[in-house]
Amino acid sequence: MSLTKEFTKGLWEIIPPFRLVLGLCPVLAVTTSAENGMGMGLATTFVLVCSNLLVSLLRKIIPSKVRIAAYIVIIASFVVIVELTMQAYVFPLYQALGIFIPLIVVNCIILGRAEAFAGKNGPLASIADGLGVGLGFTISLTVLGAFRELLGNGTIWGANLMWESFEPFTFMVRAPGAFVGLGVMLALINFISVKLDQRKRRA
Amino acid sequence: MREIIKMLVVLTAICAVSGFTLALVHSVTKEPIEYAMLKNVKEPAVKAVLTGFENDPVKDRIVIDVGKDKKGKPVELIVFPAKKGGKTYAVAFESSAGGYHGDIGVMVGMDVDKKALSGISIVSHTETPGLGARIIEPAFTDSFKGKPIDKELGVGDINALSGATLSTKGVVAAVNKAQGLFDKYQSQMVK
Repeated sequence: MSLTKEFTKGLWEIIPPFRLVLGLCPVLAVTTSAENGMGMGLATTFVLVCSNLLVSLLRKIIPSKVRIAAYIVIIASFVVIVELTMQAYVFPLYQALGIFIPLIVVNCIILGRAEAFAGKNGPLASIADGLGVGLGFTISLTVLGAFRELLGNGTIWGANLMWESFEPFTFMVRAPGAFVGLGVMLALINFISVKLDQRKRRA
Repeated sequence: MREIIKMLVVLTAICAVSGFTLALVHSVTKEPIEYAMLKNVKEPAVKAVLTGFENDPVKDRIVIDVGKDKKGKPVELIVFPAKKGGKTYAVAFESSAGGYHGDIGVMVGMDVDKKALSGISIVSHTETPGLGARIIEPAFTDSFKGKPIDKELGVGDINALSGATLSTKGVVAAVNKAQGLFDKYQSQMVK
């Protein structure tokens, strides 16, 4: 597979969390606004790219019996780096994301990509894979966050977009709204891909 | 046997490198993190009690060693100076005293030139909602404005809250404690 293919597959074919239904906990928890979703997505992308690269470079050195332990140490180190950096330079975002930054360590997408891809492929392909999947995750979170923010608060990126008498569904920015929002988006994506399949078959 | 040794060596090496890297990152980000914490947590209270400054009180903060606690750890007092034209005209710092239920943290602003309180703001408290919790209301905190800083305050000097005597006394005690600290460390606070 070419590098472009490795990159683009993360944006549609296996876009998390809709196709690759992993890492749902942060998805549900932090997508109360577009900004939070994007911050979380970018932090995850950084960790994912770095850990993919390192895992791929070390794949022949790490004995397979202790590979999970080694992956976790690598991932955890990058997460702490992200956490300290965010705390120092983007404190409000750090506060908004709270416990979910350190919890990137146990995000299944990252360990999943290390185990399923980076542990078996070369460094360049692994970076492409990490970038693709990470960006896919960022886009998903931002869109879901924007959707919930618009309905739940009447704003996107803090800017007021709704008419004046609009009464926000506060339900959408609370926990249950996360499930509803995710469900609606999953249905939408499935609907689109079924249509695309049909068209392909007809052609 | 060989395999076990390899596992040990590889894992140890990875952990060591990771530990070293993290120590490095920590030492680089330590200073900005402290600044960001104070900026976001304390600055709103500082802004509530000081007005008209041209500097960044968080950046210019002065840390004064004020003795040791029971465990022998040094206690630090963080002073936020307000400057105009390079001259400190007021300072703000935190003080605390027991209220009705737990400690009340008070940010106290002091005008050095006028020798008067420029304002107080309640930073933290666990007083009873509806009674003692009224200490955060401007009707109460504003009554401290302009009171002299070289004379100990009594409950009668300010707009005491009825039904919340102990909470009122707690805030007054915290302000008096701040006056004592100012008296003792004035030379270090105002440079």
